[in-house]
Amino acid sequence: MSTVTVESSRFGSLEIEAGAIIEFPAGLIGLGGRRWAVITKDDNGPFAWLHSLDDPSLALPVTNPWEFFLEYEVVLSDADSERFESADDVAVWVTVRAGTELTDFSANLRAPILVSQGQGFQVINEAAQAPVRAPLFPDAQSEAEAA
Amino acid sequence: MLIITRRPGEKIMLGDEIVVHVMEIVGNSVRVGIQAPRSVPVYREEIWNAVREENQAAAGSAPTELPGAPSREG
Repeated sequence: MSTVTVESSRFGSLEIEAGAIIEFPAGLIGLGGRRWAVITKDDNGPFAWLHSLDDPSLALPVTNPWEFFLEYEVVLSDADSERFESADDVAVWVTVRAGTELTDFSANLRAPILVSQGQGFQVINEAAQAPVRAPLFPDAQSEAEAA
Repeated sequence: MLIITRRPGEKIMLGDEIVVHVMEIVGNSVRVGIQAPRSVPVYREEIWNAVREENQAAAGSAPTELPGAPSREG
């Protein structure tokens, strides 16, 4: 099977299968980049990395939003929903702002990344409850305050 | 920056494919219709800016080791 090698500045040499490459026709908002892949460093953890294949120093932590937000909903504009044939076939990721403390971790629920059939789009979620910076570990906050 | 005066009902072309339609003025708001090919995403600027900022912050995330899932009770 053909693979692409990325000399990642974070993870060293990464072998990415050609079939795992996600083409983003419009790039990520404000970051660009057409070719990305989801890299899993810890099979049991909730986080993965969306790694650029064009820029070896560019990678964003991502997570499955339902790992943290059971009620999460994605509502698409008509223009965005036309990009996908069926909702069943779409993987949803949200970008994660990681920090040194758990209380610094947040996810962007406003602009999820939708992947279907090898293509990815970062879209604007029209749902009412979709902050750009939703705390991922709200309980860690209360523990810190209690300590 | 190019500045053009338009009346409601008039349009602006950006290249051959993008049409900006000034629809109506209500109070201090302007309703604008935008027709663009599917390959051109259209965003409200403040949302685009907030998302760009989050993307950049995520890309600047330091740890290569990320924490585990939160424990769920019940």
